[in-house]
Amino acid sequence: MIRMVHDEYSNRSQQTLVGKNVERVDATDKVLGKPIYSMDILPENCLYLKVVRSTHAHALLKKIDVSEARRYSGVVLVITAADIPGINESAALLPDKPLLASEKVRFSGEPIAAIASHDPTVAEEALNLVKIDYEDLPTIFSPLDALKPDAPKIHHTGNVAKHLKLRKGDVEDGFRQADYVVEGTYRTQFQEPVPLEPESGFVIPEPDGSVTCVGSMQSPFHVQTGIAKILSLRADQVRVIQAATGGAFGPKSDEMPVDILGMAAIVALKTHQPTALAYTREESMIGHTKRHPFIIKLKAGVKKNGRLTAWEAELVADTGAYASLGPLVVTRALFHATGPYEIPNVKSDSYCVYTNNTMAGSFRGFGGPQSHFAAESHVEEIAKKIGMDPLEFRRINMLRPGSLTATSQVVDEGCGLKECVEKVVEASSWERKRSEFVRQTGAIRKGIGIAILYHGNSLGPEGNDFVAAHMNIDKDGTIRFRTALTEYGTGAPSGLLQIAAETMHLPMSYFKLEPPDTDYCNDAGPTVASRTTAVGGRAAQLVAGKLHQRLKEVAAELLGSTVDLIETSNASYYTRESPQRVVSYLEVVKEAYKNGLELKAHDTFTAPKCEYEPETSQGTTYLQYTYGAVTAEVEVDTETGKVQVDRMVAAYDVGKAINPLAVEGQIEGGTLQGLGYAIMEELVHKDGTVLNPNLADYYIPTSKDIPEIKSIIVEYPGQLGPYGAKVIGEPPVVLPAAAIVNAIDHAIGVRLTEIPATPDRVLNYLRKKN
Amino acid sequence: MSKHLLKFTVNGKDQALVVESHERLLDVLRDRLGLKGTKEGCSTGDCGICAVIMDGKLVNSCLVFAIQARNKKITTIEAIGTAENPHPLQRAFIKYNAIQCGFCIPAMILASKNLLDHNPSPTDEEIKEAIRGTLCRCTGYQSIIKAVKAAAIEMKK
Repeated sequence: MIRMVHDEYSNRSQQTLVGKNVERVDATDKVLGKPIYSMDILPENCLYLKVVRSTHAHALLKKIDVSEARRYSGVVLVITAADIPGINESAALLPDKPLLASEKVRFSGEPIAAIASHDPTVAEEALNLVKIDYEDLPTIFSPLDALKPDAPKIHHTGNVAKHLKLRKGDVEDGFRQADYVVEGTYRTQFQEPVPLEPESGFVIPEPDGSVTCVGSMQSPFHVQTGIAKILSLRADQVRVIQAATGGAFGPKSDEMPVDILGMAAIVALKTHQPTALAYTREESMIGHTKRHPFIIKLKAGVKKNGRLTAWEAELVADTGAYASLGPLVVTRALFHATGPYEIPNVKSDSYCVYTNNTMAGSFRGFGGPQSHFAAESHVEEIAKKIGMDPLEFRRINMLRPGSLTATSQVVDEGCGLKECVEKVVEASSWERKRSEFVRQTGAIRKGIGIAILYHGNSLGPEGNDFVAAHMNIDKDGTIRFRTALTEYGTGAPSGLLQIAAETMHLPMSYFKLEPPDTDYCNDAGPTVASRTTAVGGRAAQLVAGKLHQRLKEVAAELLGSTVDLIETSNASYYTRESPQRVVSYLEVVKEAYKNGLELKAHDTFTAPKCEYEPETSQGTTYLQYTYGAVTAEVEVDTETGKVQVDRMVAAYDVGKAINPLAVEGQIEGGTLQGLGYAIMEELVHKDGTVLNPNLADYYIPTSKDIPEIKSIIVEYPGQLGPYGAKVIGEPPVVLPAAAIVNAIDHAIGVRLTEIPATPDRVLNYLRKKN
Repeated sequence: MSKHLLKFTVNGKDQALVVESHERLLDVLRDRLGLKGTKEGCSTGDCGICAVIMDGKLVNSCLVFAIQARNKKITTIEAIGTAENPHPLQRAFIKYNAIQCGFCIPAMILASKNLLDHNPSPTDEEIKEAIRGTLCRCTGYQSIIKAVKAAAIEMKK
């Protein structure tokens, strides 16, 4: 059993700020259009970089001739791998990806050289002057081909970046107990994250040979480590500052900011000039990580009474030319491959496989959407096989307190799955619509579908889960809050201030969120896995608690009392004995400054380590779980194949909503991103070349595509987060695909085993059926 | 490249600049006039993030040559409100959490303002139509629509 770190701050009965709708602290700058993003704050006389990219998917680089580009008027510098002072690496987990390819390219679009000019147009014109001799190598574009024994190797380590196993009970025995065995294969596509701000940043060379790197990013300390390695500098010689970041969704956590700032830093050091690099939309879509396409084979054993007896899963993920965080994506996918059901016997294998496609990696959901699409489609087929209502089937098998997950983790009392299901069933008028819609005739058919999830919270198997936070109080009472956890749209850092303010019984107006800066913050780990509120919130409490204690000590002196007798509320300090004698927060701060007392604190919260058996994946894989249920109502045009989503109801057990307004924002935005995944978004590769790297040919939902989305918050406190809070950043993107595809099946009696459900695909399936 | 004298009005102020034929309105606003509130999201007219109002019409400034703005009136986000005196749309965007990463917000507010300038009582469908060319990847648009409706009511008071 994992011992949780005791939470002394979250008195769950009396909060004045937590649980209330609070305006985010970065809102005013954003509505006014203030210059806050990297490209708004470029230094004067900046050099601009443009990147020379491979036009071959898999080839040896025989010769790179930059001489003509170097001579082009206005070009200041051309760099290749030979100009890297340190290690030629910009990778996430395995040391497999170079910053600039030198011997070999593994995907079409891989960076080979960069050209610097004060005029970006000149740098762009010079791109075609770099002459590269390629010697083509055999290519692989399907992960199944890559797994064949005679497949050409993309990396010398082989084509499998990770194979992970999960073994629970005896799956053969489980199949023997089953009355029916149901098999199916499900396929998902490359989904492009599309943060609206493409990757960008700039580097300032400092007189002492160090560099200051400013950019759009999720994880400043990952960037610092990466840049130091590339430049052969110590970490303290690389200062990294996060600029306001215009969306991220995953790709800005790993290689991309290191690529951008790494190339810029090499040029900045060589030329002693500030250097900027901003990717075009096309470069962003080709270069950064996307959602892994998966091929998922499922085989389930079930009894006539609806009880699942066995579940076998094989998940193969195409990670493209480089692993990125693919090995961890297939880990999360494996752990969630049964969906949120209790099954006594499970055998699952997941593979992260190299191909010569573009790179897949971190993207909101991180393996969850693929696993749940397959599992939540498959349970419908199982229910159909035994003639049971799919909702009833879910009610029989779904996780509840006391259940054992696929990894044999005991589900604790903090499980609101049942309530989520009942809430969406009621709010969607499920029973009525299920029976009404099947009686329709005509070309346009309506359907309603459901899907349910669990989502492991904390980094779990993905790394050490710690967050550092810092606070100091200025003379005027302003409290500066710093952490290296970043704001890239979620609003979660505002929630940290809310939690700190709650802890100190102060209004939020005293708090100021400082930008993440490696010179002024300790490492907080990456801003990924929706961890800001759950883990960062605990750090905020620790630091706020320390300062609160110190202020109470000063107040005690002012009141002639002792610290343990001091009460606080709403920025005032008093004793229970004489509550009419009050000193204000500002008076206490003034007194502290007068006495030379330091009003500064920092601390690190470290979550317990997850423990599980690596050969079987049995044990505690995550510290708590978010649960959820989603219904989708669709209209399918059987003549054109067009699917329109009319209504969605989404209920999530978030433990405790620190800021309900922000939780709803995550649910609404994630649901629409999941809707895009379900019916319209697919980055298409042909022989390794991306055919639609632009927003005219790659569709994301517009305001005209939105359904009516109803968000429902359910609160079953978890063990990890402050006030029992669970994560909500990622979960909303997980279920829409399954819920929508299940609704399509309800509407037209066709089971799509692949997404997106584009008109042509829906028509093809309809034709096959008729 | 030939050079041209560009006289136009930006946020109520007359401007006279010499521009080259190929210069985009977006770059003139950002780099020559320092109006960084107008963002660049795709450079191909697909995302609508660079939208500004030109003579009462919402245009993607990445697709407009600067000289096409000759004698026209341009409104950018910088003219909509201030920290002390925000526009009702800006207040409503904050109140309804219609902002996440913020990158689309200047264009979204301009698209909404241009709608309200022509139609003070829009329906949900009219709001969706007015902002359909401006992509937002964070909010799911629902909160934006709520904010625009609330601002419309506020502005009639």
